[in-house]
Amino acid sequence: MAHRSPVADVTYLDVRRLHGDALDADTTDVALAMDEDAFRGFYDRTARALWGYLSRTSGDRQVADDLLQECYYRLLKSTVAFENEAHRRNYLYRIATNLVRDTKRGSRPLFADGVDVGELEAPQAHADAAERADVRRAMGRLKPRERALLWLAYAQGSSHSEIAGVLGLKTGSIKLLLFRARRKLAALLQTRVML
Amino acid sequence: MKTTRTQLTDAQIETIVADAIAQEAAFAGSEAQPPSSAIVWWRAQMRARQEATQLADKPITIVHALAIAAGIGLMLSVVGYAVAGVKGSAGWLSNIAQSLAAAVDALPALSLTSPVVMAALTAMIVTAVIASIAAYVIFADE
Repeated sequence: MAHRSPVADVTYLDVRRLHGDALDADTTDVALAMDEDAFRGFYDRTARALWGYLSRTSGDRQVADDLLQECYYRLLKSTVAFENEAHRRNYLYRIATNLVRDTKRGSRPLFADGVDVGELEAPQAHADAAERADVRRAMGRLKPRERALLWLAYAQGSSHSEIAGVLGLKTGSIKLLLFRARRKLAALLQTRVML
Repeated sequence: MKTTRTQLTDAQIETIVADAIAQEAAFAGSEAQPPSSAIVWWRAQMRARQEATQLADKPITIVHALAIAAGIGLMLSVVGYAVAGVKGSAGWLSNIAQSLAAAVDALPALSLTSPVVMAALTAMIVTAVIASIAAYVIFADE
C-alpha cells in the first residue's frame, strides 16, 4: 500500500480558509530567499524526486516525510546567490544529505549496514513487486554514501562534480567510488538472481 | 529464475545498476505524496515569522539583564562605600543606621577621583542609560 499524506491535495486557498483568522491578523509575508510563485514552481518540479532521495538514502518513509519540509525551509532561509536552477537543486540535495546524516546521529541508527530497506511496505499490487523488493534489499546492504552516490548518478542523472558538491567529496574521487558502489550492487543483485 | 554467476563486464554492470535504480526511482516518484507547495510555503512563512518574533524579543531580554546587572552593581557599590565609611567601627553591624548616617556625613568630603566613587558613578550612569533605552524599546513597541 502506498503511503499517502493526508494533506497532499490541500490547496493554498484551503489553508487560508482554515487559518483565516490567523492570516488576517498578520498577512505580511516574511522575507525569504524566493518569492511564492518561484518557490512553488521549484517545489513542484523537485519535491517528488527529493522525497525519493530522502526515502531511499534514509531507508525510512517517515523520515523522508519529516525532512522534506525542513529541506525546503532551509533552502528558503539560505542567503546563497544561486546561479541557476541546477545550482539551487544541488544545494537542496546537499541540505537533504546533511539532514539525513544528522538524523543518523540521532537516537536510531537508520543506516547501519544491513538495514533492510526491502522491509518497507512492498507494493503487492504490482506484478514486479518481488523484483523491486530485491532491489531494495540489495540497496539496503549498501553503505549510505554508496546509496546516495548511485541514486544521484542514476536516478538524478547528476554529473560527478554535482555529486561531489552534494556529498561533500572531491570530484576526482567520485569515479572510483561509483565504480565500487556499482560493482557491489551488481554483485548483490546477481546473488539475488542465483537464489 | 536461476542462473550461474558470471563475470560481468563494466558495461554490463553499469546497465544492470542503472536499470535497477531507474526502476526504483520511477516507483519512488509514483509513491511520493509530498504536501502541496501551498502548505509548505505557508508553514515556512509561519516558522520564519515565529523565528523573527523570537529574534526581536532577544534584545529586550539583553537590555533587561544589563539593567538588572547595573542596578546590582550600583547597590553593591553603595554598600561597599557605606562599609568603607565605617571601617574600623566594630559595632557597625548592630547600628547600621548610624553607620549610613556617618557615610552620608562624609559625602561632602568625598574625593571624586576615588575608585569607589568612580565605580558608583559609572554604575549609576550606565543604569540610567540602559534603563532609558529599555523603557523606550518596551513602550515604543507597545
